[in-house]
Amino acid sequence: MTQTAAKRTAASVRQATARNGAPTPARRRGKVGQEKTSWTTMVILFLCAITVILPLYVTISMSLKSTSQAVDGNAFSLPAPIDFSGFAQAWELTNFPVAFTISLLVTAGTVVGTVILASLASYAIVRNWDRRFFRWSFFYLLAAMFLPFPVVALPQIQLTGLTGLANPAGVTILHIMFQLSFSILLFTAFLRSIPLELEESARIDGATTWQTFRQLIFPLLAPMSATVAIFAFLASWNDFMMPSLIIADSAQQTLPVVQSIFQTQFSNNYNVSFASYLMAMAPAIVVYLFTQRWVMEGVTQGAVKG
Amino acid sequence: MPRNATTRPASAGGRSRGRATRAAAAAVATAFALAGCSTAGGGTSDITFHMSKPEAIPYFQGLVDDFNASQDEVRVTLDTASNLSAGFLRGNPPDVGLLNYNYEMARFMERGALSDLSDMPEADRIRPEVQDLVDQYATYPGRTSVLPYSVAAASVIYNVEIFEEHGIEVPTTWDELIAVCDELEAAGVTPIYSTFKDPWTLGQGLFDYSVGGSVDVPGFLEQMDEIGTEVGPDSAVSFQKTILEPSEQMRRLAEYSNDDAASRGYGDGNVAFANGEAAMYMQGPWAFGEIAKTAPDLELATFPLPSSDDPDDLKVRVNLDLALWIPEASTEQEAARQFVSYLMQKDVMDEYNAAFLGFGTTTDAAPVTDERIVPMQEYYDAGAFYQGLSRSIPLTIPIDNYIQTMATGGDIPATLATIDADWARLALRG
Amino acid sequence: MSTPVTTAAASAGALVDEAEHGKVDHLAGTRHDRRGRTRVDPIYYWFLVPTLVIFTLAITVPAVLGIFYSFTNFIGFGDWEFIGFTNYVAAFSDPAILASYGFTFGFAIVTVLLVNVIAFLLAVGLTAKIRLKAGLRAVFVIPMVISGIVIAYVFNFLFSNSVPALGSSLGIPWLSESILANPDLAWLSIVIVTAWQTIPATLLIYIAGLLSIPGEVYEAADIDGAGAMRRLWSVTLPLVSGYVVINMILGFKNYLNVYDVIIGLTNGGPGTSTRSIAMTIFTGFTGGDYAYQMANATMFFIIAVAISVLQLRITRGKAAI
Repeated sequence: MTQTAAKRTAASVRQATARNGAPTPARRRGKVGQEKTSWTTMVILFLCAITVILPLYVTISMSLKSTSQAVDGNAFSLPAPIDFSGFAQAWELTNFPVAFTISLLVTAGTVVGTVILASLASYAIVRNWDRRFFRWSFFYLLAAMFLPFPVVALPQIQLTGLTGLANPAGVTILHIMFQLSFSILLFTAFLRSIPLELEESARIDGATTWQTFRQLIFPLLAPMSATVAIFAFLASWNDFMMPSLIIADSAQQTLPVVQSIFQTQFSNNYNVSFASYLMAMAPAIVVYLFTQRWVMEGVTQGAVKG
Repeated sequence: MPRNATTRPASAGGRSRGRATRAAAAAVATAFALAGCSTAGGGTSDITFHMSKPEAIPYFQGLVDDFNASQDEVRVTLDTASNLSAGFLRGNPPDVGLLNYNYEMARFMERGALSDLSDMPEADRIRPEVQDLVDQYATYPGRTSVLPYSVAAASVIYNVEIFEEHGIEVPTTWDELIAVCDELEAAGVTPIYSTFKDPWTLGQGLFDYSVGGSVDVPGFLEQMDEIGTEVGPDSAVSFQKTILEPSEQMRRLAEYSNDDAASRGYGDGNVAFANGEAAMYMQGPWAFGEIAKTAPDLELATFPLPSSDDPDDLKVRVNLDLALWIPEASTEQEAARQFVSYLMQKDVMDEYNAAFLGFGTTTDAAPVTDERIVPMQEYYDAGAFYQGLSRSIPLTIPIDNYIQTMATGGDIPATLATIDADWARLALRG
Repeated sequence: MSTPVTTAAASAGALVDEAEHGKVDHLAGTRHDRRGRTRVDPIYYWFLVPTLVIFTLAITVPAVLGIFYSFTNFIGFGDWEFIGFTNYVAAFSDPAILASYGFTFGFAIVTVLLVNVIAFLLAVGLTAKIRLKAGLRAVFVIPMVISGIVIAYVFNFLFSNSVPALGSSLGIPWLSESILANPDLAWLSIVIVTAWQTIPATLLIYIAGLLSIPGEVYEAADIDGAGAMRRLWSVTLPLVSGYVVINMILGFKNYLNVYDVIIGLTNGGPGTSTRSIAMTIFTGFTGGDYAYQMANATMFFIIAVAISVLQLRITRGKAAI
């Protein structure tokens, strides 16, 4: 029942996108009030869009200035002349390639780990719901959703240190564990909507549970896996709090943390600091621009599946 | 994982240091080699060296590189940013620490987290009155846990040109100081450049200067410790009683600051002061190097902040800008000590202190020669110094933030009462 | 953290219902034994148990350990002893901790309201008859993929330099002073940046909600001659009330953990005016206060659970979207 809502929503998003993409002339010429392009609305939206764009514009233009131009504090002026030395300095100072690679590995590990562990666990839970062990496991795993990270952060610093996980691998594991509750919630809801007959026919053909999952269920879960993956990506890539506390060696820090580590060393070289910020933001923005439709649908599905 | 990520451009530090260092490094390495291989079976010991003083990072990276190149038993990695409390909690703190000594370390030392270095010959060279500064925080029975490395003496930095231009003499009493500020203001010059956005600049500057000039800081802290949970409006000493007047003096001076002080940080302050935007600047010697980046030829000098009407009652603020320690938890004690010995050589220490305008901590240390800080030598030698109060308070009390509140117009008595209450609570759960 | 770790708690509720009413028999996928009980394929345990073990080690053990230490005077190293409830007693009378709760909850409430109002209005605009809809939507979602601390550093520069410069050139006194330096207003900067970063997720949910409203509803309202505002208030809003509840809950929980943005903007200042709970815990710990801050964290946990239970009740009432 919960699932139908999500599907309906997803469908309507798609429908709406299609409808808006190419409004038919007939409709446009239709009734006055409702159907006409609302210019007032558009103007307001454009003004709002500027507040989104402006900080990004400032980041780009500041990063392209020379140190002496950047220090005058006029954020909105265009860089003249365009100077790329800020990037070169930031690249070297923050050791960008290392931080980027670590961020990438942590995020990729989190996404893959979350999808695999959560889908397996969800499948086991849903198919054995009549068993107390599986039912209780579900609620046990769900409980973490009510647990703010700061509550367990300090003991986690201690335990990751003692177990040799005070590094990006440890952060990956913790990221997966914190994503688990929400992801299992999404997967179990989706699994309940898959008709059992489908599975039974596969089993009659002699498929084992593992084969059924691998060949039938997991592919069916794909849309939900995408949603789970997007949430895991956003949570992991943007996280600052956990890596800053868990990773012991500052040379192995993730991109967001690196920004804060070098804050004092950027000093007043604003072109260097902004170049560094831009390099930290750009990868996710670029990926987003190419995948925006899936991202929007995924987020919508994930959050609305109630 | 690439361990060299903290490698900074091998700039200044590496090249500018003299041959003496390198020769010394080789000598130490040879000595250790002769003394026999202390580290197992000729293998390399990897140790982490924590040093997070931002201005000095390239310098110490150079020292570390020299040390690594001079021998192949110990490989040192410079760590400039890790969280020390987290390191101790994990059980893998850095093997050698060299940093500003304050309560963050003192709390760990109190519980025996730092190993005893008293058997190292280097420990005997420390000036006793400097070692006292360490003991003002805390001690662990029977141990010398910390070796002071460099003392920063701080007083008011002033722009000589601006003072001369307006015919201003260096003030030696509180009233003269206020007169100077008024005179400058009347002439359209900002008397003091302040950077309230970074609270630490206020704590170590205006606040510590104001307090240290008129309050016996170690005596005050000792009494506060004794009173403990009873600290409050009626106790013999308390922030709300003892520190009230200095805090009001601080506020008075803060009002002579640049108008945009509240939104300026340390970096902004260095640039602005270098550009002659104000006559006085309440910073330690570490700021000279930063100011020189913008204005290499600017003539600067220092004078102790007068806070009474007695011109002979002048003291400078000192702090243990750098102090060395080795945690008990380090698994590479021998290698760590080898590196400490290397850092503690007279030539290496003198060179560092000359480069960063610090005062030596050993009996054999060379006197300072930089004319910007030479005037402070006499106060230092005469023991006319105090340790900054803001750095002598347990870190769980956000003293710098409280000072920021007081300096920027907050209720002074109420804020001081809050600090007293924090103090009493800390004593309760100690 | 921009984690929408959150839930439509409603479906948890729905599952509880199903379990209670035994409606789930048909889901049991494996063969039945003679007594009609399912015999569990052992591989299901392999699917679930490793995850349970890691989860227990990574989350449950630390939580228990933390609560244990909250009754000691452990500083993170060395000797310690039990001191009973002393930490809790001290924490309850610690103005810094109480103020951090006040700040955090006040911040979360203001932010959740602001974000929802703006996001809802934007969503209405973005589902209205306008051009360039897809492009505009794409722009509005960008902040979601930017790390909170990075954008906070950018805004820090704008608030400290650009806005005051603009203010003084326009001769507006209150604008020419940095908002970050004003103890009474600095919290607003944190609200603004947090809102900037979290509006997109909220917006997407509202868009989905608005698109799920059948067009006939509006046509009916049109015939009634309802004005635009009236239509928004009495037709649209009630129809998306479920989405409003979800957004409020998701946001509120997220905002209680506020940390990154504060680090990037004010670092808790000026004075102690913007210290959140998370920040108090971490800075206290850095000052050597492990056990004491674990007492604080335990209190935070209890409050978070209480809020969750409350929310679960509210959402179960609103479950039918």
